[in-house]
Amino acid sequence: MLQSELEKKMTTQAHQTAYVQRCRFAREGATTYLGHLDLMTVFERAARRAELPILYSQGYNPRPMMVFALPLGVGIESTCDYLDISLECPYDAGDFAKEMNAALPEGLRILSAKSIPEPKDSIMSLVTTASYRFEAKGIRPALLKAMEKDALIVTKMAKGKAKDTDIRPLLLAVKSEQDEDADVVEIITLAGSANNARPDLILQSLKQYCGLDAEIAENARVVRTGLYAGNYPDTTPIEDCPVRSWSDS
Amino acid sequence: MRQNPLPLSRADLMKVESPARYVGGEVNAVVKEEMLEELEKTGRTSFLRFAFCFPDIYEIGMSNLALQILYHVMNEDPHIACERAFSPWLDMDALMREKNVKLYSLETKTPLDQFDVLGFTLGYEMCYTNVLQMLDLSGIPFYSKNRGENDPIICCGGPVAYNIEPMADFFDIVMMGEGEEMILEFCEKVREYKLSKETDHPMTRAELLRACDEIEGIYVPSLYECSYNHEIGAHLRPKYEDVKTMIKKRIIKDLDKVTYPTDPVVSNMRVVHDRTYLEVFRGCIRGCRFCQAGFVYRPVREKSVDVLCEQGRQLEKNTGYDEMGLLSLSTSDYTKFPELAENLLETFEGHHTSLSLPSLRLDSFSLDLMEKVQSTRKSGLTFAPEAGTQRLRDVINKNIREEDIFSSLRLAFQGGWSTVKLYFMLGLPTETDEDVIAIADLASRIEKLYFDVGRETGQRMRRLDITVSTSLFIPKPFTPFQWEKQDSKEELIRKQKLLKDHIRSRNIHYAWHDFDSSVWEVVLARGDRRLAPVLLEGYQKGLFYDAWDDHFKFNQWLEVLTSHGLSVDDFARAFSEEETLPWDHVSVGVTKKFLLSERHHAYKEETTASCRENCAGCGVACFGVGECFANRDAMAKEGGES
Ligand code: SF4
Repeated sequence: MLQSELEKKMTTQAHQTAYVQRCRFAREGATTYLGHLDLMTVFERAARRAELPILYSQGYNPRPMMVFALPLGVGIESTCDYLDISLECPYDAGDFAKEMNAALPEGLRILSAKSIPEPKDSIMSLVTTASYRFEAKGIRPALLKAMEKDALIVTKMAKGKAKDTDIRPLLLAVKSEQDEDADVVEIITLAGSANNARPDLILQSLKQYCGLDAEIAENARVVRTGLYAGNYPDTTPIEDCPVRSWSDS
Repeated sequence: MRQNPLPLSRADLMKVESPARYVGGEVNAVVKEEMLEELEKTGRTSFLRFAFCFPDIYEIGMSNLALQILYHVMNEDPHIACERAFSPWLDMDALMREKNVKLYSLETKTPLDQFDVLGFTLGYEMCYTNVLQMLDLSGIPFYSKNRGENDPIICCGGPVAYNIEPMADFFDIVMMGEGEEMILEFCEKVREYKLSKETDHPMTRAELLRACDEIEGIYVPSLYECSYNHEIGAHLRPKYEDVKTMIKKRIIKDLDKVTYPTDPVVSNMRVVHDRTYLEVFRGCIRGCRFCQAGFVYRPVREKSVDVLCEQGRQLEKNTGYDEMGLLSLSTSDYTKFPELAENLLETFEGHHTSLSLPSLRLDSFSLDLMEKVQSTRKSGLTFAPEAGTQRLRDVINKNIREEDIFSSLRLAFQGGWSTVKLYFMLGLPTETDEDVIAIADLASRIEKLYFDVGRETGQRMRRLDITVSTSLFIPKPFTPFQWEKQDSKEELIRKQKLLKDHIRSRNIHYAWHDFDSSVWEVVLARGDRRLAPVLLEGYQKGLFYDAWDDHFKFNQWLEVLTSHGLSVDDFARAFSEEETLPWDHVSVGVTKKFLLSERHHAYKEETTASCRENCAGCGVACFGVGECFANRDAMAKEGGES
């Protein structure tokens, strides 16, 4: 058994119940430049400053029980992300959000929290789909062009090795807007641990195949706008997903 | 909060490693809104704008206590706005030059050349060239003499500032000693100067510097003339009659009363020492003869347990860190150490906060304590005998006896510890091959003890891991060894090899320190004003980040040094007791006479008792506080009662 699984098992054995706050949060400003691990630490420290009754894992190196729905890459803002924070006792969700927000650094905000029973399915496993908004000169026509291609082969770095991969199958749809602003576009993509569309790779493909200027692509503002469960187009925002608890059979 | 926009684009930030270093936005960072309002309305401000500069990367600077203390002290003042700036890493350095972006403060993204003061904290000599980098990236002239009325005042402080001579020509102001009070007195003078510019009688920069010379602890390098001569050494003469001839360091008398930052800035990204610090006392009772800190921080002044516990509680709450380090030179010498440690552990009970303890003098109490403290388990036991034989330990006055090491280790091994780290120095004065070989011998006797304990107790023993680390002796100013030579590189390499050849067990690992940087450190530590052009030329040839082994280019430095008619030996040689040392115009309270007598005791292999056992009369009692009087008071009291 992996150390993490072992710790999780020990935790659930020691505490019959964890009282989970499912949080929807946003990030912008300076905190946009934090990597995923740093972001976790920031939430942990905020919860500690707020003196909230965070539940820790058991074992040799206790960690706060916090699960993010999907890591947020460096440089990506968000208006709608999720994390589950486990507490030792029931807590009013409104108070929880308020107290966390008073302790979080500027740029990070909990938009809403919801008390849920300890979920049987990890919040990570729910995520199938994400939406992103790109803002850059001429990005809408470029992305629409990309959607017409059969394949979009880009090179991604994984474990220090360059690997070619086709990201076209990960792109589901471009949201249509009334004003059709050429410089803003929102896209729905596959997301989650199995098939995940990385916004930087999308921009790379626009640069490579759709004539988007390199500098414009690099300076594009990227905002994650939603995370969903279910199969596209029948998707549900994560906060609306029913929670299967351990007591459900 | 209101601030200037970041001068770098998203694409720029995405190109560099760890962009979070360059964006600020941390919890507890201070932005003075009132100042921004003033600036917005009138384009100027009556606030004194102070940029606290750390000449190394963000992650290292954010772990620096001096930065956190002085940042806090200044921002508490209603007339000062202190912001932070760090050395940009090489990738960002190149980018800023390419895009013509000036180095800016993290709080309001203001270019540093728009500040009234840039203050550098200097913790180690190898960061000197990064000071030059930061000035360069700010577009500020390097030499003090080339700066004019519109340039910021450039000042510094910190432990290596006691011999600032190699960098003296670059600074307008140097602060000697503890800064909490001095920096405010200094800021007040600069603010007067700043405000006077709006009046009919503006003060000049030269007048400001003269006025600063009146502040105790402040050294204004440009007010002195300097000459060198092989017989008499460095000679520093005041240019004017009323300039002080001796600069005496400042200390804080009562640490319980001085402001301590219980709400330090908490980095968003993870940094080198990701923990909060509680400073327990200043000074050290021990007097190891090689240790600069042990002399320059005297006298010992402790905080009370009550104050410490309250500060510890607040620090934990205000930062959210899950680890707290106790910071002092030899922390377990704190008179009420058990009480403090237990109190803090109680405060943290159930919070998943760990206390990180410094190397302790192990006895059954501390072993029990260490059991409770998770972080020590991970890192193992640490001892710093510094020398292999008792003879050499007596020479350096390192008060640690082999019996004590062995009895502590016996207890620890019985308790299940299996990782031991041993720290030594090579190249100490009077060292012989016998002393070097004794290091290997000590390690193998510890190995034997481990297996003996296993046999005696019958417990199952884990794999033993002993690490022997050696660093190189560096003769530092303000120590009894300030006159000593440094061994030549060849000699040091020979000794290192000798030691390596004598370590044969696979349970014992040998780790050593890079030679070249230790040699350069001596040059900088004992250097004088002749080095300023050397440092500047080296920097301009691309030599900086010298504190980073990968970026330190010794051979290139040697070339620059030689081209200026200097050699390593000018600074690594034995200084004569008669010559004037480059730092003789500074007083840390400890007298030169005392240092000299300690040197002679060393040669006679005579130890000196700790301040707590017996005051050796080092001279620091002139400050009138601290440990120096604790004993006398106690003795007087006893005498009075009997
Ligand atoms: S005056 Fe005496 S007690 Fe005080 S620091 Fe010096 S040696 Fe120690």
